[in-house]
Amino acid sequence: MSDDLEQSFVQQLKANQNIIHKICRLYTNGNDAHKDLFQEITIQLWKAFPKFRGESKFSTWAYRVALNTSITLYRKSTRTVKTVDYEKQQFFIKQEEYNFEEEERLKLMYQAVYQLNDIEKALVFMYLEDKDYAEISETLGISEVNARVKMNRIKGKLKKILNP
Amino acid sequence: MIMKELDLLKKDWQKSGNSFEQVSEAEIYKMLHRKSSSVVKWILIVSILEFLFWSLLTICFNDEKYQEKLQEYDIENFMFIMNSINYLIIILFIYLFYKNYKTISTTDSTKQLMISILKTRKTVRNYIWYNLAVITISIIISIVMLFYHNPQFISLMDNAISKGHKALFIAISVGVSALLISIMIGLFWIFYKLLYGILLRKLHTNYNELKKIDL
Repeated sequence: MSDDLEQSFVQQLKANQNIIHKICRLYTNGNDAHKDLFQEITIQLWKAFPKFRGESKFSTWAYRVALNTSITLYRKSTRTVKTVDYEKQQFFIKQEEYNFEEEERLKLMYQAVYQLNDIEKALVFMYLEDKDYAEISETLGISEVNARVKMNRIKGKLKKILNP
Repeated sequence: MIMKELDLLKKDWQKSGNSFEQVSEAEIYKMLHRKSSSVVKWILIVSILEFLFWSLLTICFNDEKYQEKLQEYDIENFMFIMNSINYLIIILFIYLFYKNYKTISTTDSTKQLMISILKTRKTVRNYIWYNLAVITISIIISIVMLFYHNPQFISLMDNAISKGHKALFIAISVGVSALLISIMIGLFWIFYKLLYGILLRKLHTNYNELKKIDL
């Protein structure tokens, strides 16, 4: 029976793994760190899986657990890391990009986002995933108004990082 | 301006959704079992280190004087056989630890993992019991040798017997020996509890987590 549960978990995780990859992309800056966070999120999801009753979609539930894991881990480990490794940052950018000017702008944007704090990253993630404020507020456990205010502040912060 | 940048980012973000190196089912299974396998790996490493530590200690103290004494006591061959058997059994245990580690790190089902965890815990416990038994036996052998071969002890014994305190002497000897053995066993028990206890507890927590899922 437990093997069935495990199998169902592994299959759903495999199908939805891009969610986790995307979160890892925002919270880490390097291939090893990406893999580590992916593994940690996988374990946390598996631990929480018995409580997942299928009331929401697997992906919605995974958003919540994965973001919480990243936020907690990020708090624990990266008080000291403030600088961005430019070399490592580059793997974020897709290779088939032709437009160099656009590529450069994207690179700067990803670097700017990487400098945001843990909660802000979570909000940007939800924004990039095209979620509305209702879903953002539910996933992150903050009010809708608060989410809007925070998002506006993030925009200001990003602007400041891009044009100091 | 910032909205334009964010839109650009969003476009790229959604486009790049499938550009990640995909993780296979087998890899996910491996991630789920990683914790137990790392604990079991540590059990293996600690047991090997412990084995090396004791071997090194034996080699250091196994000088000629010790060998002469064994010859004098006429137990050289006996001790050699005992030591050989002991080493064989310990190597067997290390092999079992290795086998447990291999099973746990390659298994792809929770059921099998739980069975392996229980097996590993049992192996470790047996290993500890075996070591405590060996220590008890070696202490008893040294005490017996003391009574048979140590001149001071023999004269002390003769003295007691000639004064008619034979029963008392035996009682005290047995009492002191028993106390000595319990103290030594206690110390080693604490030693093993510290060495393997933490690892065993981690395995146990893992087991309980798995059990919660196994409803």
